Amino acid sequence: MTPAISIRHLSKVFPVPFRRERVVAVEDLSLEVAPGQVYGLLGPNGSGKSTTMKMVLGLVPPTRGQVEVFGVDADRVESRVAVGFLPENPYFQKFLTGTETVAFFGRLAGVPKRDLRDRARELLRLVGLEEAADRRLSGYSKGMLQRIGLAQALVQEPRLLVLDEPTAGVDPAGSRDIKDLILKFKDRGITVLLCSHLLAQVQEICDRIGILHRGRLVCEGPLAELIEKRAQTELVLENAPAGLLAEIEAAVGRHEGARLLHRRHPQASLEEFFLTVTGDEKKP
Amino acid sequence: MLRRLLLALALLLLVGVVRLPFETALQAEQRAAGFHAARVGLDLRQRLGQTGFLAALSGCRAVVADLLCIEAYSAWERVEWGRLNWLFETASSLQPRALFIWEMASWHMGYNASRAAREDPRWKLEAQRRRAERQYLELSRGFLQRGIAALPNEPKLYELLGTLERDKFNDPLAASVAYGTGATLPGAKGYLRRFSAYCLAQVPGREVEAHARLRALYDLGPQEHLPTLLKEMRRLEEKLALPPEQRIYKDR
Amino acid sequence: MSTAAPLPAHRLFSPARVGAIARNTLTELTRQKVFYLLLLFGLLLIGSSVLLVRFSFQDQFQMLKDISLGAMSIFGSLLAILATAAMLPRDIEERTLYTILAKPVPRVEYVLGKFLGIAGMLACALFLMGLLFLLILFVRERGVEAEMAASLSGDAAALAAQIETLRAQVFHPNLLAAGLTIFAKTCVLAALTLFVSTFATSQIFTVFIVTTAYFIGHFQATAREYWQAMGGAAWSKAFAGFVAILFPDLQIFNLVDEIAVGVAVPLALLGKTLVLGGFYVLIYLLAAQLVFAQKEL
Repeated sequence: MTPAISIRHLSKVFPVPFRRERVVAVEDLSLEVAPGQVYGLLGPNGSGKSTTMKMVLGLVPPTRGQVEVFGVDADRVESRVAVGFLPENPYFQKFLTGTETVAFFGRLAGVPKRDLRDRARELLRLVGLEEAADRRLSGYSKGMLQRIGLAQALVQEPRLLVLDEPTAGVDPAGSRDIKDLILKFKDRGITVLLCSHLLAQVQEICDRIGILHRGRLVCEGPLAELIEKRAQTELVLENAPAGLLAEIEAAVGRHEGARLLHRRHPQASLEEFFLTVTGDEKKP
Repeated sequence: MLRRLLLALALLLLVGVVRLPFETALQAEQRAAGFHAARVGLDLRQRLGQTGFLAALSGCRAVVADLLCIEAYSAWERVEWGRLNWLFETASSLQPRALFIWEMASWHMGYNASRAAREDPRWKLEAQRRRAERQYLELSRGFLQRGIAALPNEPKLYELLGTLERDKFNDPLAASVAYGTGATLPGAKGYLRRFSAYCLAQVPGREVEAHARLRALYDLGPQEHLPTLLKEMRRLEEKLALPPEQRIYKDR
Repeated sequence: MSTAAPLPAHRLFSPARVGAIARNTLTELTRQKVFYLLLLFGLLLIGSSVLLVRFSFQDQFQMLKDISLGAMSIFGSLLAILATAAMLPRDIEERTLYTILAKPVPRVEYVLGKFLGIAGMLACALFLMGLLFLLILFVRERGVEAEMAASLSGDAAALAAQIETLRAQVFHPNLLAAGLTIFAKTCVLAALTLFVSTFATSQIFTVFIVTTAYFIGHFQATAREYWQAMGGAAWSKAFAGFVAILFPDLQIFNLVDEIAVGVAVPLALLGKTLVLGGFYVLIYLLAAQLVFAQKEL
């Protein structure tokens, strides 16, 4: 099967104007994203994530190497026919309403004119902006802008979504919503390339990750495998009496090499806790 | 990208070479049709100053000329005749196609400035007064002549020149010529032809010709039988002692 | 959704997309504050018509025409340069450029759409200024007609004839030709600005370059004549030639000064001038596309 994204030996070198030095943003990067996968591209700021993404979208030409999207070279406009992109901190023209914004991008993506309005409504409902559909974007909050960005990215029913820090600056409830939406896209078979440095979030939704550091891919693979501690096992018991716990500990002690490392009550994540406390404000 | 930029500049230069002959031809054609009439030289820059010069060159020539006329109006109120002349000189060289500037300039010089010069208390002798007056009259005539050169098909300027020659220079021949030339232009008022003949009638030695022209007007019909025309014909008939069959007044 | 399905058809060039970008640009520009300039224009006209009352009404109409057409030319040029110079940097800063180009939109469509949006805005602005100008002219003209009627009471035929002449003088169809040449000039400036902004490092730089080109463009014909008259040295001729080749000759679009005083524009001449304007626009857009196509965003 053609991979959704195929990157081979990709490098990008930016010349520094009026100087002899050069900045190497990406160096010899190779990776593949299979269709239907949610791929997390991680890395600290300045690691080359954004540059890589721009090369995938054809916004920046590579210095060396090749990027293909569904088998089409990213330099070619056709490669973006089935791609939706949500930039970091998206900022749209303030004077347009939500519906107008989505319709505009729909037009650019080749959605037939007669379907534009329905499509825009449907997408705004999907991202939970139904009520704000006819308000101008100047009155939108950051989270709402992020959602409208998501709506426009989805406008031509893309097969690949490229999301740059989709939850940056969004409150936890909104962030949760966006996460849920991404999982929904995954269920519909849409491939997602997610760039983020919010690791907890990536951990929850990504199938596979790549970690970039100083322009190089330092580690790549299925998420579960990468972070699994194969030598350790966790048991989580409910309503276990003290006697049972003592028996288990004794049993562990009888085995050569096995060792009990911790004994503790599992903790909820702060996010879970926060959402439970503010639960009634959250949309269903 | 730098390569592309150089490529784009090369394209512009190449296209520039191609378009230049076409532009030169078009500009010549525009000039022939009466456009780009200003005499824009470096002397104009000295006159207008940097700002005015830039404004005049960037599509506001007419506006700068108007502003000079408005300023001229103030100069007139302050009776600064030299400045008035200078302002109109500049305005008219900026916008030589504007009839109203020539009109205004010649009127101010020929009727206001000349009059003021004549009545200037500084002059003790009549000869001095006359010389001062004459200077402004010459300026007025100069404006009209340059106006005619710029707008050769404008009868109004010939009319003004004729009137100036007649009333201020007391030169009926020059007046007649000016009126007569104006009368032949399209859109000329009917009275120019009459004025030309009246003035000619005042030129000693040209009475026969003047009479013939008055007669031609007379023969056009009763609408031309105006009191002045009749009076002049009568005077010439007598002066030339024409035989009765050539007269319209046969009472004598 | 099956991922093995072939990609949907994509049109290499789509007027619909260009139209969408143009409309979007036009809406963006019209909802900005650029149209306060029109307010200034109106104030200028009203102010100047007050200043002109001391002149005879023929002279007043003449000066009103001169000032209006001059202001349309200057304001139009300002609008073309400032609005265009701000456009690309803003799209980059606000990332709308990324969002647009991440859709299957060829860059040439973006360049074309942006230019058409600007041209549409310039047409709107010039149209509105022209309308305002005609309105003031109309009000003044009716006033003069009323004065004429009062002073010529009785002689109906003479009055009708005078009013006829007045109207023919004031509302000359040539004013439309003046508007078209101004539009051509502003479009050339907008296209030039768009080109410069594809490689300029800042908005100020763009405005600086284009303003320089604006003055050189208006000045070069004069300079050329001057140098020729001097009989000048070879190097000065070569320099004048280089300037003439590189910079646009904007004076060629300046027909308003004479149109305002009633010089007629032959249709063929107007046509040629407008075609030249279109040619300039085409070349600058081509140059803009050449640079923009390879621009790293």
